[in-house]
Amino acid sequence: MPAAATMKADPVKRELIKNALVTIADNMIALVIRTSRSIVVKNNLDFSASILNAKGEMVAQGLSLPGHLGATEPALRGCLEHFGEDIRPGDILCNNDPYSGASHLNDVFMFRPVFVEEKLIGFLSIIIHHTDMGGRVPGGNAPDSTEIYQEGLRIPPLKIMEANKPNETLLRIIRTNVRVSDMVVGDMLSQMSSLVTAETELRRVIDDYGMETVKFYMSELIDHAERLTRQGIAALPDGTGEFTDWIDEDGVGGPPVRIQVRLTVKGDSAEIDFTGTSPQTSGAINPNRYFAVGLSLAVLRTVLDPSIPANAGFNRCVRVITPEGCFVNPRFPAPVGARGLAGFRVRHAVSGALAMLLPGRVGACVGGSEFALVLAGYPAGRKPFLTLEFHNVTGIGGGPDRDGQDGGPYGLANIANVPVEVIEAEGPVRVECYAFLPDTGGAGRYRGALGLVREYRLLEEEALIQLRSDRQVNPPYGLFGGHPGSPGKIIMNPGTPEERVAPAKFIGKMKHDEVLRAEMPGAGGYGNPLDRDPRAVAEDVRQEKISPAKARDIYGVVLREPEQALDIEATRALRAEMQRRAESAAPTGKAGQP
Amino acid sequence: MPSELKQSYRLGVDIGGTFTDIVLLSESGEIHTKKLLSSPPDYSEAIEVGVRDLLREVRVDCTQIREFIHGTTIVTNTIIERKGSPIALVTTRGFRDILELGRFRAPSLYDSSFRKLEPLAERRLRFEVTERVAADGSVLRPLVEEELEGIAGAIAREGIGSIAICFINAYANGANEAAAARRLRELLPGVSISTSSQLLPKIQEYERTSTTAVNAYVRPVAERYLDSLQKRLAGLGITCDLMIMQSAGGCVPGKVAAENPIYIVESGPAAGVVGAQRLSGRLGVGDIMVVDVGGTTAKASLIEDGAFTVATESEVGGSAAMGHRLIQGAGYAVQAPTIDIAEVGAGGGSIAVVDDAGGLRVGPRSAGAVPGPVCYDRGGEQPTVTDANLFLGYISPTKLVGGELKLNKAKAEKVVSDLAARLGISPVDAAYGIHLIANSNMMRALNGVSSERGRDPSGYTLFAIGGNGSVHGTKLADDLRMNTVIVPPASGVFSALGLLFADVEHQVIRTYYRRVTEIDPAELSLMLEEMVAEARRLLADGGFPEGRQDIKLVAEVRYFGQQTTLPIALPGTRITQEELEKCSTDFAEAHRLNYGYDSPHEKVQIVSLKVLGRGLADTPRVPERLVSQRSSDAAVERRPVYFGPEHGWMDTPVLPRAALTAEPRPGPMIIEEYESTSVVRPGWSAAVDAFSNIVMRRIV
Repeated sequence: MPAAATMKADPVKRELIKNALVTIADNMIALVIRTSRSIVVKNNLDFSASILNAKGEMVAQGLSLPGHLGATEPALRGCLEHFGEDIRPGDILCNNDPYSGASHLNDVFMFRPVFVEEKLIGFLSIIIHHTDMGGRVPGGNAPDSTEIYQEGLRIPPLKIMEANKPNETLLRIIRTNVRVSDMVVGDMLSQMSSLVTAETELRRVIDDYGMETVKFYMSELIDHAERLTRQGIAALPDGTGEFTDWIDEDGVGGPPVRIQVRLTVKGDSAEIDFTGTSPQTSGAINPNRYFAVGLSLAVLRTVLDPSIPANAGFNRCVRVITPEGCFVNPRFPAPVGARGLAGFRVRHAVSGALAMLLPGRVGACVGGSEFALVLAGYPAGRKPFLTLEFHNVTGIGGGPDRDGQDGGPYGLANIANVPVEVIEAEGPVRVECYAFLPDTGGAGRYRGALGLVREYRLLEEEALIQLRSDRQVNPPYGLFGGHPGSPGKIIMNPGTPEERVAPAKFIGKMKHDEVLRAEMPGAGGYGNPLDRDPRAVAEDVRQEKISPAKARDIYGVVLREPEQALDIEATRALRAEMQRRAESAAPTGKAGQP
Repeated sequence: MPSELKQSYRLGVDIGGTFTDIVLLSESGEIHTKKLLSSPPDYSEAIEVGVRDLLREVRVDCTQIREFIHGTTIVTNTIIERKGSPIALVTTRGFRDILELGRFRAPSLYDSSFRKLEPLAERRLRFEVTERVAADGSVLRPLVEEELEGIAGAIAREGIGSIAICFINAYANGANEAAAARRLRELLPGVSISTSSQLLPKIQEYERTSTTAVNAYVRPVAERYLDSLQKRLAGLGITCDLMIMQSAGGCVPGKVAAENPIYIVESGPAAGVVGAQRLSGRLGVGDIMVVDVGGTTAKASLIEDGAFTVATESEVGGSAAMGHRLIQGAGYAVQAPTIDIAEVGAGGGSIAVVDDAGGLRVGPRSAGAVPGPVCYDRGGEQPTVTDANLFLGYISPTKLVGGELKLNKAKAEKVVSDLAARLGISPVDAAYGIHLIANSNMMRALNGVSSERGRDPSGYTLFAIGGNGSVHGTKLADDLRMNTVIVPPASGVFSALGLLFADVEHQVIRTYYRRVTEIDPAELSLMLEEMVAEARRLLADGGFPEGRQDIKLVAEVRYFGQQTTLPIALPGTRITQEELEKCSTDFAEAHRLNYGYDSPHEKVQIVSLKVLGRGLADTPRVPERLVSQRSSDAAVERRPVYFGPEHGWMDTPVLPRAALTAEPRPGPMIIEEYESTSVVRPGWSAAVDAFSNIVMRRIV
């Protein structure tokens, strides 16, 4: 058996070992999906599984949430710095402390070291977003926290399993500090169980191929991904794209947050620079650096071959600059619990910069207001309840050559909605409607997807309501003449004397029979609406996705009653007239949004 | 002479992607097979031709056919080809867009080009009505029937022939849906109506609406097709009932299947699993893994203690090559029970490519049947797994489909050599590399039903079927540390044979969404009694009297909040407090087995109930012996075959199945027959048993 240093990479063996390792990661994920109780895990796929080499570099990943791409290695580093040589067979290390390399408190990272003949071969890792980690509000997503101490239980690098025995002290502390503790601890048991099973499988691979060979390929697979990534980046044109997107406010009344991105491709590497982004806010919507890095890398992946393995080799080719103290790299003890919203805006801004660099390849902004809702209560004599919902994205932005699909899923978040019937069966809530809102998709040569409406009626006496949303001032952007999607809106008790508009983010009370109506933005359009195929406009009217009035006023398309037949002549004339008016008017548009 | 003195026969017909496979089985176990190209758009035509020709070849009279069971891909084909009936959907006010919204799940990350399938009912044909049922089944607002008049008018104007009705919470109470169906039937006589609460009353509005819409969309096509098939069979003189295989592994009369096509989506693959289960049951082998390798995909399923597992939902119209096996969203959700089959994009047609950094990848892209592998000489230019297998000597250039398919070996060698040059390795290393990587991809399907569920494959027997299953079988078994591989007779058309081993089975399913601690045993008992009565009625209608009915009751159970349920058997309809407790402990045990732990603090919840009513046949479904009539007795030949660097090229005997005996013969060897080839690697032996199975065992 040759020593690793002298081994030469064999393309067949590399692929076989890669398949074997990915299968192990997939098995871990399958177990987590099948056994998890947490809606965040089940519907949001908010977890990742991976294999790291002895140096702590990621070698292989199973299916994974993009936000975790950048955080696994730093979280392991946090553990290694603390434990040094004191890592032994049968341990599981855990960490959820954003200031020890982790992400936000709900994401609990666990690492299983694997030893062969007393030599460390690597680590197996699973991250799960747990439903609750204690703190001021259920779910830990309060945008108005001002320091991390309010956000819940911080688990610094610790052993949650030692010599194959669960650390009952730590588990009791967790059980005592979190809400829905059965669910949280149950999910932690499943996380640990998956790691232990995976170790057996990794040992089998080592038996098959030999320890030195597996060790060698655990580095070679990373180098191979790096080579593929560099080839892919080198095929992109050199240049720089800049873009700005905004978060309306930080949840504690602060000013709008600017996300500034400068994306540069030079040769076979890329740089994503957040310089110019607003300073950190006093609220809890700051994403930390690792989260921002992971999401930035994920956006870049969308223009490269999707089959490039997601491992440390990819990350080597991209430099992400996040000045310390800015919104995407806050200083201790900034809270980060509600960073999910900002994570979307990071994706949108990086995607916009990519669109500037590569015109004709990247579409306008996805729709949605990053709507998240918690309804919870402890009614006397009845079951406590907790309803948690995310509707981050409503549909896809118009693209360079086709419409954004209505209700289209977003591969960079991939969060499923929760079935209305499950919400109603499990909690005292009735959903009164869930449907598209006509006329909300950003107009354009290629239209953005429609926005959505969802209404909730409370059936219990009283509930705590915690709402997070955005995009009421800065709606999802259009590109190259396309219009933005509609803005978001929150209305309490619509159609009643008590009707009132509510803020995008608030924590408050909801009473029996009150209704909350959430109107969620449509996606941005792409290109000038006057260039849209009039037949496509007529079809949208026929499907009641846009109104005849909008067809005329925005698209310059004239339809005739009673059948809404397309009047080509009148349309041509109206469009010419609208074009003239537009050309004589002063050019408008915000910086970075052509 | 009266025909009762002659032998009686049974016919199984399975339509896969490209071919129509026919198996004729005599009472005494003789198997006759026929494989021919399917005849789209009317698939019944090739069936008629194939059945007529086969019966003529073997001199069997149509009156001797006493059973005809069919596995069909009609649902998938209708969806993929968009050949269904335009439908209208009637929904609860406020929920017009449920079908188009779906679940917002992409089957793959980072792939910005993904678009989900367009909804089966376009927005203008989705109509809202005023009505509302609560989650507990109480009617909050009765249906406003007058609203249906305008809707019926619009539907009539559009000439829509099929309607889906799905209301919010109708799984808990279908009264409003039934009222709407009744009124629409009055207003639109002759229009086909599918109602969610009657079809499959399961919780989750998108999945149930999608299931109902798929049913409405396919139903008129399925009705026409099965009607046409029945007529063609009658024309031949075959007068027995047409039976159709369901995705869950039992068959039902054609009329029932035509009205509820969502239950037959995975008809063919299910037949392969049922066949494997029944046949291995006869051999006394309880724990097997079935691997079915075709041209494009490899499918795996697990049989444990003689039973397969049934998943509670699936998708139709997506592709195994798309996205990740573990996330859904590629196709339309269908909640019908389906034999749990893990599928990956790896088969004989899988294409090998060199990536930009000199890496070798195989699949999931497939050359399919057209153009097919390079060696088919039909325009394929990229090397496939079949080309590599030909290079290595595993398959014959002249003997496939009894010599009807000639392979161009020189072309295969050329493309494999070109690929090797790009990788900087020798051609034989490249060919063997493609074979191994294809194996490792197929293994992911097998892992999906074993290690992913806490099972160690080494305790199981591998049952290899499909055109390529037995080519890869011993290597898969080697890699998974399995010791026995069974290749059944007619393995290349095994689903068609498996059809004939299935029983008639009716499924009655209801949602029962309760934590076990909150269940009123009397209420549960009443519900089960109703369900059992329904199953018995369906069986009696199909000619199975009380004495020939087998009833099983299953609860789908999980920890409160989990995604996936585990099926737990219930002892009968009379449920007591003790039995509920036993249900919880049985569940904890099943959870431990599947996932490695249980969680005593947590609440156990029943999600749904299922009653399986099986009609017991008067004769055994698997005959006392099986004899494949296609085995030629050609002489033993030899050819060089490559078995990896540890063995190199070996001068290997090539023989027909009929040349094997009960005495194990040591490998290496190649066993060639009409529709498949078995590779017996060095270190393995092969023998045949009384059912003509090739049984390969590891000897070292």
